[in-house]
Amino acid sequence: MNFLDRLWGAFPAFLMARRNVARAKTRSALAVAVILIGVVAIGAIGAGGVAFQESQFETLGSIGADIQVFAGEDNENGHLTAADVGRIDRVSGQAEIVPLKQANADVIRGGSTAGSATLYGVEEPSALYEVSEGSIPQNWRKGVLVGSTLADRYDLRPGSKVTLRRTVTEDGETVRRTEEYRVTAVLAQAGQADIANPNEAFVLPPGEFDDDVFAQVIVRSDDATTANETAMQIKRTFNGRRQIVAVFERGDIAEQIDEAFRLINLFLVGIGAISLVVAGVSIANVMLMSAIERREEIGVLRAVGYQKLDIVRIMLAEATLLGVVGSLLGGAVTLGIVAVINDVLLGDPFAFPPGSLQYVVVGMVFGVIASLLAGIYPAWTAARERPVEALRG
Amino acid sequence: MAGPDDADSDERETNPVISGHDVVKEYVTGGETVRALRGIDFRVDPGEFVAIVGPSGSGKSTLLNMLGLLDVPTSGLVELNGLDVETFGDAERTRKRKETIGFVFQSFHLIPTLTAVENVEVPRLLDRTPRKTRDAATDLLERVGLGERLDHYPDELSGGQKQRVAIARALVNEPRLLLADEPTGNLDRDTGDQILAEFDEITDEGVAVVTVTHDDYVAQSADRVVNLIDGTVREDEEAVTG
Repeated sequence: MNFLDRLWGAFPAFLMARRNVARAKTRSALAVAVILIGVVAIGAIGAGGVAFQESQFETLGSIGADIQVFAGEDNENGHLTAADVGRIDRVSGQAEIVPLKQANADVIRGGSTAGSATLYGVEEPSALYEVSEGSIPQNWRKGVLVGSTLADRYDLRPGSKVTLRRTVTEDGETVRRTEEYRVTAVLAQAGQADIANPNEAFVLPPGEFDDDVFAQVIVRSDDATTANETAMQIKRTFNGRRQIVAVFERGDIAEQIDEAFRLINLFLVGIGAISLVVAGVSIANVMLMSAIERREEIGVLRAVGYQKLDIVRIMLAEATLLGVVGSLLGGAVTLGIVAVINDVLLGDPFAFPPGSLQYVVVGMVFGVIASLLAGIYPAWTAARERPVEALRG
Repeated sequence: MAGPDDADSDERETNPVISGHDVVKEYVTGGETVRALRGIDFRVDPGEFVAIVGPSGSGKSTLLNMLGLLDVPTSGLVELNGLDVETFGDAERTRKRKETIGFVFQSFHLIPTLTAVENVEVPRLLDRTPRKTRDAATDLLERVGLGERLDHYPDELSGGQKQRVAIARALVNEPRLLLADEPTGNLDRDTGDQILAEFDEITDEGVAVVTVTHDDYVAQSADRVVNLIDGTVREDEEAVTG
């Protein structure tokens, strides 16, 4: 006896099950196929959903840990002052603060207005932005950083020149001022929800703006919880009955988006699970056919001393075998599909986000369980048959 | 039911493998009660070759099912090795079948997905003694002249070969009683003779063989013929067959 024979000898129910599965090849193949589809439905929808969620968060940018402070509706200045910034810095404790100045400008090309753009004034642009081309000078006093969309639109590179016209207040008078700047860096594409999104903006040194006028202050905490505490602290410090500052918290939004994704994914996986129920029904059908076809055979087994439970075991082994084969193939196919989804959404076929593989495993486990459950009724039907009746044919 | 006078009539040299007293079996089909056996007595001794003959519907198969513990009597007593089979539940009867009874069927009933040797192993497959079972099955197949056909599937064997595999299967648990339902019914005369020769050999080892048959010549080679007509027994020295 070779090793394989001995191995099957240790699991006689599976020996018979394997041979029976091999006997009705087409029928078994179809049963395996429905299980496979069910497993793929759960696994691919679940894991694909996780990948989609991940890709959306990449687009949305890192949200949750940042809060934004603006001038409130009762603020007489209509903007934040340097003193306000100082107070925010004090109450924010360890959190990093980025005061932001803001203005609008027209982009002048060949002497006429080609479009408008937002101007941001930031002390330390590297705290907010990533550079894709060129670099931010150590001593940030002149030059301009350009957002990726504008860089494409106006064909700007580090070293290019750009002319901006804007309205400024000089000695109490409002004047139009046109100036030429030299591009020192092009900024990397930022997410849709990034704070002070630079895609359609130019970033200038704060010295280019009015001294004491800040559009907003960004407070960057380590996590959403700290951000929430800081926001409360700032509101307590500034706002009594009057709203001197408005605090825009992003943690809530992040949570809501997260929850929405989770629910959508659960719903989709639920739809996938229905296909496994269908697969289970199909397995039950296959097993019933098998039980009816093998009536006499089962009668013989009962006659030669197989107990009812032995028959149940053999039939369940058969159903489980179909389920295991279907689930393994389904798992493999799912991994392939998820790899494609990962590649499309996340740019790397093997970038399985956390929780992604979990769905594949869940799909496979459900595949086996569905088959096992589906086998119970046909197995019991077969075992209950009286051998005399079965042998009469 | 068995009376106290039973003890006298049963005093022979050996204990019977299986015996019946006043066995009645009734079926209900389509609202009508059919009396398949109308109170018969029987006994089968070790090493005996008994042929049950009779016309169709005479109750032959019912009697065989009774002997094989596949069915229980409506009334009367059936004793296997001196134990009343009515006291057995389904599981116990199944276990007794496995331990003491081998079956051979007219249409062989081999499992088509298993090889000859695996078919012989079937009754012991769940014992988890694969090596011992394989040796026993191989010995038995060699004994019935199929040593060269161990790994053939049933559809690669002739009718006579299939029936010999079935006989080997019936013997793999070393039964005391072998029940054969028309064992030569699907075989030609020469092949049938080979099967009968196998039965002779088996009875020489002390195994009782009971066969239901239509064939005269099967009945002629039996030690004893039980003639069953309309559910009652007429035991003759001469075979009376249709």
